[in-house]
Amino acid sequence: MNWIVHQLWLIPALPFLAAGVLALTPRRQRAFAARLAISALAVSLALSCAAFVATLGHAGTGTFRERVNFTWFQFGDQALRLGWVLDPLAAVMLVMVSFVGLLIFIYSVGYMAHDANFTRFFCFLALFAGAMLGLVIANSLLLLFVCWELVGLASYLLIGFWFHKPEAAAAAKKAFITTRIGDVALFLGMLWLYSAGGTLLFYDAGEGCLENAALARIAGPSLVGWGTLVGISLLIFGGAIGKSGQLPLHVWLPDAMEGPTPVSALIHAATMVAAGVFLVARVFPLMKPDWPSLAGGIPLAGTPPPDATLAITWVGAITAVFAALIAVAQTDIKRILAYSTVSQLGYMFLGLGVGGVAVGMFHLLTHACFKALLFLGAGSVIHGCHDEQDIRRMGGLRRPMPVTFATYAVGMMALSGVPLLFSGFWSKDEILHAAHGWAGSRIPFYLGLFGALLTAFYMTRQMVYVFFGQRRAASTPPAAASGIRHPASGEPHESPLVMTVPLAILAVSAIVLGFLGTPAWPWLQTYLGADHGGSGGVELAKLLTKETLWLMAISTAVVTAGIGLAWRWYGQRPITDAGTPDPLQMSFPAAFRWLRQKFFVDEFYAATVIRAHAAWARFSDLLDAWLWGGLVLAVHFLTQGLSWASRFFDEYVVNLGFDAACRRLRRDGAFAAGLSDGKLQNYLRGIGTAFACLLVLLLWGGCR
Amino acid sequence: MNGTGYLHLLKLAAPEALVVLAALGALFVDVGVMREQGRRTRRLLGAAIATLGAFAAGLGLLNLHAYGTAMGGMFATDPLTQWTKVVVLALTGLTAILSVETDFTEHVGEYFALLLLATTGLMFMVSATDVLMVFLSLELTSLSLYSLAALNKASPRSAEAALKYFFFGALAAAFALYGFSLLYGIAGTTNLAGIAASVRGRGFDPLLAAAMLMVIVGFGFKVAAVPFHLWAPDAYQGAPTPAAALIASGSKVASFFLLGKVLTLALPENAGRAALGHFGAGWMPVLAVLALASMLLGNLAALAQHSLKRLLAYSAIAHAGTMLLGVLALAGAANRAEAYAALLFYAATYGLTTVGAFGVAAVAERLGEGDGIAGLTEVHPEDFVAPEPASSGAPACSRLEIQHVAPSPAQAQSRLQAGAPVSASGCTGLAGLARRSPWLAACLLVMMLSLAGLPPFAGFPAKFYVFAAALKVDATNLDLLWLAVVGLALSPVALYYYLKVLKQAYMVAPNGTEMRWKLRWPEALAIGLAAAGVLILGIAPGLLLDSLSEAIRAAGL
Repeated sequence: MNWIVHQLWLIPALPFLAAGVLALTPRRQRAFAARLAISALAVSLALSCAAFVATLGHAGTGTFRERVNFTWFQFGDQALRLGWVLDPLAAVMLVMVSFVGLLIFIYSVGYMAHDANFTRFFCFLALFAGAMLGLVIANSLLLLFVCWELVGLASYLLIGFWFHKPEAAAAAKKAFITTRIGDVALFLGMLWLYSAGGTLLFYDAGEGCLENAALARIAGPSLVGWGTLVGISLLIFGGAIGKSGQLPLHVWLPDAMEGPTPVSALIHAATMVAAGVFLVARVFPLMKPDWPSLAGGIPLAGTPPPDATLAITWVGAITAVFAALIAVAQTDIKRILAYSTVSQLGYMFLGLGVGGVAVGMFHLLTHACFKALLFLGAGSVIHGCHDEQDIRRMGGLRRPMPVTFATYAVGMMALSGVPLLFSGFWSKDEILHAAHGWAGSRIPFYLGLFGALLTAFYMTRQMVYVFFGQRRAASTPPAAASGIRHPASGEPHESPLVMTVPLAILAVSAIVLGFLGTPAWPWLQTYLGADHGGSGGVELAKLLTKETLWLMAISTAVVTAGIGLAWRWYGQRPITDAGTPDPLQMSFPAAFRWLRQKFFVDEFYAATVIRAHAAWARFSDLLDAWLWGGLVLAVHFLTQGLSWASRFFDEYVVNLGFDAACRRLRRDGAFAAGLSDGKLQNYLRGIGTAFACLLVLLLWGGCR
Repeated sequence: MNGTGYLHLLKLAAPEALVVLAALGALFVDVGVMREQGRRTRRLLGAAIATLGAFAAGLGLLNLHAYGTAMGGMFATDPLTQWTKVVVLALTGLTAILSVETDFTEHVGEYFALLLLATTGLMFMVSATDVLMVFLSLELTSLSLYSLAALNKASPRSAEAALKYFFFGALAAAFALYGFSLLYGIAGTTNLAGIAASVRGRGFDPLLAAAMLMVIVGFGFKVAAVPFHLWAPDAYQGAPTPAAALIASGSKVASFFLLGKVLTLALPENAGRAALGHFGAGWMPVLAVLALASMLLGNLAALAQHSLKRLLAYSAIAHAGTMLLGVLALAGAANRAEAYAALLFYAATYGLTTVGAFGVAAVAERLGEGDGIAGLTEVHPEDFVAPEPASSGAPACSRLEIQHVAPSPAQAQSRLQAGAPVSASGCTGLAGLARRSPWLAACLLVMMLSLAGLPPFAGFPAKFYVFAAALKVDATNLDLLWLAVVGLALSPVALYYYLKVLKQAYMVAPNGTEMRWKLRWPEALAIGLAAAGVLILGIAPGLLLDSLSEAIRAAGL
């Protein structure tokens, strides 16, 4: 076994350690805080790379998977075991998380330079990184859940980092509570899995819950077994829905943009929200069991029974279009990206559902890079525009911020799926390809295409608003700006090197990463264990098959249409004033209102769930005040009365009684002592009397 | 009775003969040889002879194993009687050692002779199997004890105590003798087993009831059970302390053994029933009434005492009640062996404890200001019994009134007002004992807590076994449960007055300037042996109980 497998725990442990140290570090030790957190994560990145390299040698010769399990504690005759696992899935996630995380850390040094709580921020970042890395290597659903909750905590702390802003505090609460709904499902799924399978370890020498023995034990050759397996899968997927912002629990993610821009936003865009996708990928054998290989065979005759991937596919596809539609009408640069993230996460789930782990993970990796790039670019823009986030008050930033513009353009094209050169094209194409071949239905494929069109459209719209045209900042009074956001003042400027260098690095990755999974050289897919039937080498011919070419043509056409439409609406007639209504708004006012208001989902929730909850709370309050309160009050008075009574009893009956008894005893004693009064004649009389009395007693008692 | 009979008797009664020889030896040595010596030397020698005699007799008992009956069934020995005699002899030995340091008489030889003669009487009591023998041995013991009680001729109190004891004892003996003669009249035999055989099937007619009751009155006097206890406080307090110790210890052991034997041997079928609400005529209800009254009155009256010896007298009455419970336990034939063991273990450990406690009282009398235990803080005028005004008492009897130890209210008031230390009549003789002599105080602590029945002292297992045996008399109906409950309920009362003694010893400052008491070795030896025995038997009751059970098994009970 490779040494790195045994030392794998160091990867999350180092950031955790850094977080612990930073929690105790005084606020003024800013340089130390940054250095400690960055170096801890840098070592983690190095270790992650080592782990990645260790898995490489085995690519193609069967899946590399090694684990270390240990007993956490013993209860009764059962042991609760935890562990970590190193396999390609974990390895690529490790590298991605620590790599993107490191860039975020470095970028934050510049972005948060003026914040008073710099040290605390890095403490939270390190905590987040540690939890996320722990989640990735966990070989137990329980350990994964622990890290999952820690990630949620770190996210809560980071979103609410500026807790003095009411919006930030509310957003933090919203994120925490909304994801908790999903977590309850995950927790229930975990408990069900434990009771059905008897273990929470993923891989345990054939006995883990993702391995056939346990799966067969859970599923069994019956309808009940099938129901159990699908139920567990759907509950676990519920956790992923919450964490990855899928319908209907997507509402927290756009609001989470209230965190320090764009760093925590980036966490919520590139890494943390991907945890849901990763979770589904990790437990994929549960989601899509290999029915024929399970002992007991197929519970339902004929075709393999439906499983959780059906739900995953539909949720992903609908979310992809739904969020993209909303993104079209948003004006906040980060909110656009946030809805884009929701949409792209939908794509990932779609990919997982229709194509398996490799397809979904491929898009996860490429998306992490270009979405990180976009968020960092947005941060750079916001930074350069003095904390302005409304794209209507930007414009013409192409000239003052050339590096940001260039890298942002790369990210935009990658996200839109501009053909051949950009990673987004390849990964999205892979998903569309898989959706096209999906046996269930053709609708997800069309939804995906429509989403791609929208993606290209809203990204082009954003680009035009932000970087083209002319500057519109001065023309609008900063009436809408909140107290914290400074009104745009002075000229926009390019960001410092500490922020632009990560941008450049991410831009390169956003291009290069796509070539790891093209149909001609599906290295990543092979590495992640998907069977593409290829040799592992470069096969250009595969690129030129009829179906591939046809799909590529369609998606190219869709992307072109999207960009073209957006350019026609926004680019050709530059908007000169921030107050000018959106061109789309002028053409379709009613539809645009729905999109701008995010399909009124928040309002819908406010009117239904929250109102019901509030009503229930009021009802409970009434119950509390009158029923329970009355009961408590009654018990209170009863208790008080009883205590009065018992005090009275104590003082006047027990105490006085005892005292009286004691006094009585003493007096009786004196009396008894007085019986022997020293007079002999009395004594002798006593004998006679006693004899007489006893004799009477005896005779009266019945002599025969 | 032919010569072989006497030889046989001598063989069986050799220990008793040894004790008599020792008594004569002590008398002759003292009167003949030691006349001119100092009184302490004479006491030392007398005690040595007495202790040696008791020791030799005990050795003989333990080694000769001469079991059988003699004098036509009047005298019988078996392992159990021999065991009981060993206990009596041990208590006599301790009393003799204790006597060395109590200077109350110039008739040293007579004193030790009487002590040993009383012991002889006790030994014959243990072996008696005939009502004549019972009466004779009772009288031998009683007469010796009357004389012992009177031996402090310098103290009118001693004379009064002895006289009361004598009058009381005479009346009780009259009752007993009348009862015995009635028994003889009914049964035509004086042999205990013979009486049992002839009254079998006779039922419980008034004549038998009267005879039985009279015998019980006689024994009630010996064991100081209420209402035949009235002599005890005065006698315990007035008699010379070592004599009182023997009255309270050895005499108790032998008397209870004999009472049990007479009742179970002569009247086994007339036990009756003593369950609460289920009265069955016989000796059980009588003894139950006596036990109840003894426990109640003994414990209550002890509360009001201000002298250690008088307190021990009432404590003895209370303990007599508990031991009567042990006698009641003998009624059940099924667990008679266990009941005998419990009763005798209780009597033996109680005797040991009492001898030790009287030893402490003797030391306090010799070195301090009496055995008083009422400190200044404890003196409440209302606690004192108002003495009869001299004019209201009959003039003829006033001479016989023993002045109560408790001072009159007037005296107490004057002392309280003067603030002077209470002395002489002994309200505070034991005050500050822990500072005068920590060792003696520790021994007193052991004695008192053992009498209170606290572990790890011998009183605890003893009490436990007696109550357990009493409850087993009728295991299904728990006939005697009510008596055991009364006994347990009175335990806190008992603990209270024993702790009152210890409070004087430990919490109250001593009077006067002379702080340290210097103990002499004989009294230290006697008290130390008693305390060590109480402690060891409390921790390991098996040391004594095993041999006792073995003896009971061998005696075939």
